[in-house]
Amino acid sequence: MAEHHAASDGKHKASANAGGSVHGNSRPGAAGGGGGGGGGKGGLSGGLTQPAGWQSLLSFSILFLACLAGFSSRLFAVIRFESIIHEFDPWFNYRSTHHLTTNGFFEFLNWFDERAWYPLGRIVGGTVYPGLMVTAGLIHYVLNLLHITVHIRDVCVFLAPVFSGLTAISTFLLTRELWNQGAGLLAACFIAIVPGYISRSVAGSFDNEGIAIFALQFTYYLWVKSVKTGSVFWTIGCCLSYFYMVSAWGGYVFIINLIPLHVFVLLLMQRYSRRVYIAYSTFYIVGLILSMQIPFVGFQPIRTSEHMAAAGVFALLQAYAFLQYLKDRLTRQEFQTLFFLGVSLAAGVVFLTVIYLTYTGIYAKIHIPIIASVSEHQPTTWVSFFFDLHILVCTFPAGLWFCIKNINDERVFVALYAISAVYFAGVMVRLMLTLTPVVCMLSAVAFSSVFEHYMGDDTKREKPPAEDSSDEDDKRNSGNLYDKAGKVRKHVSEQEKAEEGLGPNVKSIVTMLMLMLLMMFAVHCTWVTSNAYSSPSVVLASYNHDGTRNILDDFREAYYWLRQNTDEHARVMSWWDYGYQIAGMANRTTLVDNNTWNNSHIALVGKAMSSNESAAYQIMRSLDVDYVLIIFGGVIGYSGDDINKFLWMVRIAEGEHPKDIRESDYFTPQGEFRVDKAGSPTLLNCLMYKMSYYRFGEMQLDFRTPPGFDRTRNAEIGNKDIKFKHLEEAFTSEHWLVRIYKVKNLDNREPLDHKLRSVVPKQKYTSKKVAGHILFCCFNQK
Amino acid sequence: YKDVAGCTMYDDECKTTKRKFGFIPETLLSEKVTQMMEWASKRSVIRMNGDKFRRFVKAPPRNYSMVIMFTALQPQRQCGVCRQADEEFQVLANSWRYSSAFTNKVFFASVDFDEGSDVFQMLNMNSAPTFLHFPSKGKPRRSDTYELQVRGFAAEQLARWVADRTDVQIRVIRPPNYAGPLLLGFLLAVIGGLAYLRRHNLEFLFNKNVWAFSALCFVLIMTSGQMWNHIRGPPYAHKNPSTGQVSYIHGSSQAQFVAETHIVLLFNAAVTMGMVLLCEAATSDMDIGKRKIMCVAGIGLVMLFFSWLLSIFRAKYHGYPYSFLMS
Repeated sequence: MAEHHAASDGKHKASANAGGSVHGNSRPGAAGGGGGGGGGKGGLSGGLTQPAGWQSLLSFSILFLACLAGFSSRLFAVIRFESIIHEFDPWFNYRSTHHLTTNGFFEFLNWFDERAWYPLGRIVGGTVYPGLMVTAGLIHYVLNLLHITVHIRDVCVFLAPVFSGLTAISTFLLTRELWNQGAGLLAACFIAIVPGYISRSVAGSFDNEGIAIFALQFTYYLWVKSVKTGSVFWTIGCCLSYFYMVSAWGGYVFIINLIPLHVFVLLLMQRYSRRVYIAYSTFYIVGLILSMQIPFVGFQPIRTSEHMAAAGVFALLQAYAFLQYLKDRLTRQEFQTLFFLGVSLAAGVVFLTVIYLTYTGIYAKIHIPIIASVSEHQPTTWVSFFFDLHILVCTFPAGLWFCIKNINDERVFVALYAISAVYFAGVMVRLMLTLTPVVCMLSAVAFSSVFEHYMGDDTKREKPPAEDSSDEDDKRNSGNLYDKAGKVRKHVSEQEKAEEGLGPNVKSIVTMLMLMLLMMFAVHCTWVTSNAYSSPSVVLASYNHDGTRNILDDFREAYYWLRQNTDEHARVMSWWDYGYQIAGMANRTTLVDNNTWNNSHIALVGKAMSSNESAAYQIMRSLDVDYVLIIFGGVIGYSGDDINKFLWMVRIAEGEHPKDIRESDYFTPQGEFRVDKAGSPTLLNCLMYKMSYYRFGEMQLDFRTPPGFDRTRNAEIGNKDIKFKHLEEAFTSEHWLVRIYKVKNLDNREPLDHKLRSVVPKQKYTSKKVAGHILFCCFNQK
Repeated sequence: YKDVAGCTMYDDECKTTKRKFGFIPETLLSEKVTQMMEWASKRSVIRMNGDKFRRFVKAPPRNYSMVIMFTALQPQRQCGVCRQADEEFQVLANSWRYSSAFTNKVFFASVDFDEGSDVFQMLNMNSAPTFLHFPSKGKPRRSDTYELQVRGFAAEQLARWVADRTDVQIRVIRPPNYAGPLLLGFLLAVIGGLAYLRRHNLEFLFNKNVWAFSALCFVLIMTSGQMWNHIRGPPYAHKNPSTGQVSYIHGSSQAQFVAETHIVLLFNAAVTMGMVLLCEAATSDMDIGKRKIMCVAGIGLVMLFFSWLLSIFRAKYHGYPYSFLMS
């Protein structure tokens, strides 16, 4: 197995490298191709009869290899473990997809899931972005129609890698529109293997982001295309792609803000044209109507503040177009008065809207998500940037520089994309995902410009490549603002001079070093993917000293135990992290899950976990709990277990029940969180502690350590004599990773003893005395 | 007069007073309350020395709670934390002092080490700052010591603790910070002024270099983790107290120093500049010697600073196997 693994590793590296270097070698050809059909006598294709055909074949094969490299480098987890759904959220997506394929689309839209959030339940159809499930379901349907019988799980596992291939293609198309074909191919290779994107799209990570990045890039490509051509055809395509994005991921808000921003900046730069007018007006109206078809989105696009920028820009564009129209009809004097009237009217409207929004509190809402995200989610360190993007993070500002220096309509777009995405990625490490595509594109632009100048041969090209200008129909603008064609011509003639000057030695050294950097990038990506992003976290692996591997399959063992040995309608209480997995693998009802919409319910579970047994029993009785499931890592040293998460349970419980739970009670007087003898008594007697360490005190793991030694926290536990009154141990997995307890029913009433009956008054008397004594003691102690 | 209700069995001073007088004199109590109110009206945090502390906090007839910060604010003590904690404590005390619910139930006071070191000895205290609550009845208990290590010294946390101990709810009102808006306004005014001065020649607004440069600055600031610094507020660098060595790079990949991000920003900028130089060398129409120098400088910048960055990354990310030129 180990050999196999090494071999596959090598293969991946090789394919990734092949992608990079083939691509590097193809630079002159590709650059010539980007230059267009004018020249056609590139050095590489000398002697070939149809160079254009060779170029497209070469581009196609590079693109194909990039897709293949992207697909295969995401398969580490499948090869090492098996075809399995990863982590937490994907399990819910998988379960919904399964429901969709078995019961049909309409049943899925109406699905009320009574197995989640007991006793509340969840309306799934109206609270998910259905794009992911529908995509997987559709692929499954088509495959089965063709009699290729694939299990839905395999479709789900391999969906993200397949879509990453599509992302590479759409990135190629977008970059080709922005710069040239060579940069496009380089960008496709980058996005195929860059860790920032792989982190969310390895095989088995069946999550919205996997398909959403493809939709994002493709929407942007179609948008740029429609701004360039001004044709309704491309714009409708853009709307459909936007519709797919809305159905797939909540991140569509990024698109509906970035595109209006682009239009707005174009207006400011006096780059208004009919193409922009047609593109944006069509996009806004059709896109709005389409996005409202998704049940979960509903009327949000006309109600919430994050969509208001799009509406505002739409109104502005109409007004601007109207003024342009009037300008042609009216005299200068009339137009000026009208213009001032219009401007003051617009300013007044804006002013009133701002006041209205401020009073109704909508304005404040805009800021809340950002504030909330700042406090809740981790901001990004430079190490994360470097880890996820490597050489690209250093070089993409250069690409941005080239784009702004040679600005045109679509490069305005990419510059805005880069600046907004880099801001969001800085605020929140999760949003690195939206930054990654633009970094790949701009880095590709930077590398491509360097290769273009340093990789070409010294033979002179006859004709400068004439790139088709994006604004053929707008003569005025192309006259004074778009001097691209002229620029390219100048640029190439200079390049010829440069080729004479710099000499082959310098050029080849620069080329070699650049290729070396790209090679290092490929190696880095493979290493990061293999080591950091390819763990399913449902199955764990540990390595012995001699390199052999142990598979720890405790999670699935326990979930299948639940599935086979408990009543079908049994209610399982666990911390919310495991809700989706219990529902997906064990098919049992859960109280809370990863869709953390109801904080008070979660707090109640947290309170049960952090109270003592009798108090917890009352809560569990009131919630009809049959089983309690906890994760305990003390035997194998697994650090993500419930004791390490325990303080969060306490904190969340304290937020809702401050009278009963106090975080400080769980600390030692020195403010430490300890599980050994010095730990606080409240901690040592709470339900979570007792369930985790029940019978653990008898267990000696090692001859060097005392019995009851917790390997995760490196401490001998403080309470070894744990007895339960209301619970009993039902199941403990092989490595004690998952422990399941059964909640006992209420005891029968104890039969009354006849003898005692006669001495009731006497006993009453003594008990009173005892009680009084205790009271006194308490008073004293105080 | 007041009877036993004022004190519990364990309160020694209470007992001694009772032994002395036979009762707790009401006049003494009201006198003390008046005195405290007078001080509180002058400054929200009452400064105490040893004598005052003994008389108004330790000595028995007392129907008010005291929240006392033990601190060391003298410059020679070099206690930076004390200063920050003091600011927060002042915010809390002012919020209480100027709130409509202000009563004589709670008073805020501080004892400086250099003014009342005997108090520190009396309470057997050897660290500052420390927040203690002296309840109106009985002796301070364990929970009357504020857990500074756990809860931090934010005024809101202190207010929660005070509410917990004394049942007095204080809404923390921070004096608004005018520095940010003022600075922004100033910046806008400068830009507006410049634009106005050059209103006949607004060519610079169309200068691509200016826009490209500012976009690059923004991007470099973001990618070097300045937002993290802004939110988390790490120290500039770390000085090892025993050896006196200053380290600019944080050892873990989860955190960073401000100095480190500045270094990374410069390195990123250098690599970017190298790439731009390489292109300029190939395209510009200067004479060949200069262009060759530009080209060599460009590739040198890219290679040198990238491998340097890689080595820093490697030092931080333990177990990363690759390096280039520098280990």
